[in-house]
Amino acid sequence: MDFDFSVITGHWHFLGYGVLVTLALSVASGITSLASGFVVALGRLYGPRWLKPGIVLYIDSMRAIPVLVVLVWTFFALPIVAGVTLPPFWAALVGLTVHLAAYAAEIVRAGIESVRPGQTRAALALGMSRGEILHRIVLPQAIVRMLPAFGSLLSVTIKDTAIASVIAVPELMRQSETVAGQSFQPIEVYTFAMLVYFVILFPVTRGVDRVYRRVAHLGRS
Amino acid sequence: MTLDWSVVWQHREALVAATGTTFLLTIATMVIAVPCGVGVAVLRLYGIAPVRSLATGYVELFRNLPLILVVYWAFYVVPILTGVGLSPLATGLAALALNVTAYNAETFRAGINSIRKGQVEAAMALGMSRAQALRRVVLPQALRRITPVLASTWVSLFKDTSLVSVIAVTELAYVAMQVRAQTFRVLEMLTAMALIYWLLGYPQAKLVDWIQRRYAVNE
Amino acid sequence: MTESVAAPAVPRRDSATILRYRDVVKRFGMLQVLNGISLDVHAGEVVCLIGPSGSGKSTLLRCTNGLESLDGGTIEFEGARLPRDEKALRAMRARMGMVFQSFELFPHLTALQNVAEGPRTVLGMKPAAANARASALLAKVGLADKAASYPAALSGGQQQRVAIARALAMEPDVMLFDEPTSALDPETIGEVLGVMKTLADEGMTMVVVTHEMSFARRVADRVAVFDGGRIIEEGPPAQIFDAPTVGRTRDFLSHLGWAG
Repeated sequence: MDFDFSVITGHWHFLGYGVLVTLALSVASGITSLASGFVVALGRLYGPRWLKPGIVLYIDSMRAIPVLVVLVWTFFALPIVAGVTLPPFWAALVGLTVHLAAYAAEIVRAGIESVRPGQTRAALALGMSRGEILHRIVLPQAIVRMLPAFGSLLSVTIKDTAIASVIAVPELMRQSETVAGQSFQPIEVYTFAMLVYFVILFPVTRGVDRVYRRVAHLGRS
Repeated sequence: MTLDWSVVWQHREALVAATGTTFLLTIATMVIAVPCGVGVAVLRLYGIAPVRSLATGYVELFRNLPLILVVYWAFYVVPILTGVGLSPLATGLAALALNVTAYNAETFRAGINSIRKGQVEAAMALGMSRAQALRRVVLPQALRRITPVLASTWVSLFKDTSLVSVIAVTELAYVAMQVRAQTFRVLEMLTAMALIYWLLGYPQAKLVDWIQRRYAVNE
Repeated sequence: MTESVAAPAVPRRDSATILRYRDVVKRFGMLQVLNGISLDVHAGEVVCLIGPSGSGKSTLLRCTNGLESLDGGTIEFEGARLPRDEKALRAMRARMGMVFQSFELFPHLTALQNVAEGPRTVLGMKPAAANARASALLAKVGLADKAASYPAALSGGQQQRVAIARALAMEPDVMLFDEPTSALDPETIGEVLGVMKTLADEGMTMVVVTHEMSFARRVADRVAVFDGGRIIEEGPPAQIFDAPTVGRTRDFLSHLGWAG
């Protein structure tokens, strides 16, 4: 059994494009889901009472429905309902954001709730307003505590971009499928894809670990 | 836009069977991945150096790969490498089991490590061997911490079974999308698919919450 | 409580040497924690080890039952060197009882089950017999009514007394106490020291690392003063506490506010 890795180099541009799309989709959905997650979590913790049940329903629903289903629905069913057709990349971005923001919201909520109540009491005793307390005392500590969980969420985000291949987003997984199908060399192509994903993902988890260890003391009260 | 929801009812038998397959995949994967996860964790914690490295390498590899890629790899590559042709269902199960075993191994290892060293020392001071200390003192306590994480892994696994649809395993996602392709009722079938997953997954997620509250550990 | 030295109920000095330390050396990385410790502990004796934190007292105890290995010197228990073989070491550990500063009760077992655990798992006793022994020992430490309680429901002093009962259940030839009261509230220290004094009066051989100077003064047969990994002074409590010969001993005691 001989392996011919020239199929990789032969399709360098095609596969390289896939890597770029993977990175772009990962970064973009990482940012949008983080931002949305913050908004959702703050809405749940500090927003009006009637907002809470809806938010909880949204978060728990995203825990129940697979990413694949959300992506497929966003790409195929949303146009029928809303009349707007999103190109694959944007459909994937919307779908991933909607799904991941729920998890981000839970991380934010857990982080904020883990800051000791004594901290808030001490700040109140100094005469700070609630807004100031959130902004200057609670969030800085909470964000440090959220780092490890966000690290693993980023890892999940990158892995979930591969599922976008199902709705024809030209990210690495999709490009690999195409090349493997045309060249009848699935071993080389998929092994290459595995290598690339590993090289992208491994430093992410390790890097977050490192950063966290440096700043962890800032979050301990 | 005219919607015809009766499509869902007409294909209810196929959908119910597919749901069964989804559950079957989830259960079978866990049946394999829990004991194997314990095995890998023990090798990582107590094995000789080369074995420890191998076990760690396995865990790190599968935690850093997208599951959908592992599914494809298992489907296209393994038959060529091993000469053994497995059914899509078996292939999907193998990919899921490889993936979840790695996660479980990490869960078990962290759970065991979270037990204070002093507990093992107290057990050994009584004259217990390391194995006895593990069995009678560490594991019962570690199980309390491990159970909520395992429950969470179960729910994730249940959702991840949808990924084996890409190799035509007749679980819920695949069957729902097949019906969509046959009947052209896109919105109805995709919404029904989401709804069925929601109906199955929501109670499971709530159960996990309950388990996490009940097994909450305060040091 | 009066400071008078009570006459021992049983003769304490015996020719049998339970523990013999000779030139014991222990390093942690670059740090030399034990610098040549030599000490004899005879049957029925209570030896208290006192001294500043970090002077090696606890480390010596953990070397005694093999929880830490030696870098030099020897330790003999009942005439035999500490074995390297795990199985033989375990058998030896079963004849020593250890009580930890952090109690280390097994949280998933009741008090009774904690005390019965050693006899059941290590000595292979049948559950009924192990439980009977455990009940008797819990009664001895004054906690018969807490047999079905879990450690989380017990106070620190109660947990430590259960821990003592757990060690006694193995019927050891020596009891090693590693700062048994350092983690306790002042109110509960007394109940634990009371149990330890009872044990001493009954003739148990004990090596106690402690900061409780009045206990050492009243109960010990000999006191060894540690400093920087060495024993700087050793003798009966009357000497150590009332008329120490070494300057550093005097410094240490006055630093603790010991007025004699």
